[in-house]
Amino acid sequence: MALRLLWASRVASHLRISVAQRGFASAVLKDLKYADSHEWVKIEGNKATFGITDHAQDHLGDVVYVELPELGHSVSQGKSFGAVESVKATSDINSPVSGTVVEVNKELTESPGLVNSSPYEQGWIVKVELSDAGEAEKLMDSDKYSKFCEEEDAKH
Amino acid sequence: MRSPRTLEVWRLGTVNYLKSLKIQDKLVSERKAHQIPDTLLSLEHPPTYTLGKRRTDHNLLIPQSELTKIGAELHYTQRGGDITFHGPHQAILYPIISLRSIGFGARNYVETLERSMIEFASMYGVKARPGNKCETGVWVGDRKIGAIGVRITSGITCHGLAFNIDPDLKYFEHIVPCGIADKEVTSLRRETDALLPSEEVIHKQLITCLANAFSYDDVVWKEDPSVILDTKDVE
Repeated sequence: MALRLLWASRVASHLRISVAQRGFASAVLKDLKYADSHEWVKIEGNKATFGITDHAQDHLGDVVYVELPELGHSVSQGKSFGAVESVKATSDINSPVSGTVVEVNKELTESPGLVNSSPYEQGWIVKVELSDAGEAEKLMDSDKYSKFCEEEDAKH
Repeated sequence: MRSPRTLEVWRLGTVNYLKSLKIQDKLVSERKAHQIPDTLLSLEHPPTYTLGKRRTDHNLLIPQSELTKIGAELHYTQRGGDITFHGPHQAILYPIISLRSIGFGARNYVETLERSMIEFASMYGVKARPGNKCETGVWVGDRKIGAIGVRITSGITCHGLAFNIDPDLKYFEHIVPCGIADKEVTSLRRETDALLPSEEVIHKQLITCLANAFSYDDVVWKEDPSVILDTKDVE
């Protein structure tokens, strides 16, 4: 599992270098679930880790600040729980699942750029204890999400 | 074949900053609920300093207690960006638009705002450029003429851009503008010898540049600003 994620991150870096301005084919990992607001989530039993996708970080630009929630904070699927700042824009990040925050990635306070360079690994944002494991059904799998990204990018 | 995109424009004159925030909140909710199309507010503020989400108030160089003496207010906001000044003769545009409808992220959006201002400046023979990395905004040489600070919630934008037509640049001496020290602030008045038309004409030109940059098919100029200024939810 870890090796595949590492490979995918390398693929993502490579893609970023080779596909400059148009039609960015962002990296999408198979084992994760995705929300239509471009967050990914990895579910392991009753715990979930999430962050923003490669597509999201590319569309944001260089992240300079990540607003993290407090431990113990309740998050709800589809609702905002924090924000990132890039290019003088603060953008909400929505939680892909509902639950209670058990850990936040403190590395992002010193190194917010990890969200750009490693969106699926070192750039993870929050870990929660799930309150409703069934909610994951509402999320997209990697194929659906890839298609969703293509359709969105075709709009302009 | 995509459906035609309309931008509704409200020209509001001088609006108090807090009031403009309330108006924007209401419009963002309405836009999110698809009750209104993409909307643009064109206005000016009385002398006002504002801070972004990161609350970088170390970039305010005078004590807050001194602000009333110079006739200015200070507000903390949720927008991106650092400290800035708004005042008379500075053209402000607050687009309340759905980025998801056009598949834009923050970066594309901000770059298009920059292009709008650059296009507008070129109408007066002023060669402006986008900022370098970490210097979002619009510059003439090393002098900043246009600032950007944006908030995006559920894919809907608020706050926006501020372009210096001929504001009193002395107000900028009390801050480290946008957190960038050693760089000047400038204005259209300073950068061109061209005869400037009335501010109403100037605002309309800037709005048109933005509408073109975002490829709107249709611009609807709303005539009665009291509709938006006097709604009972906004005081």
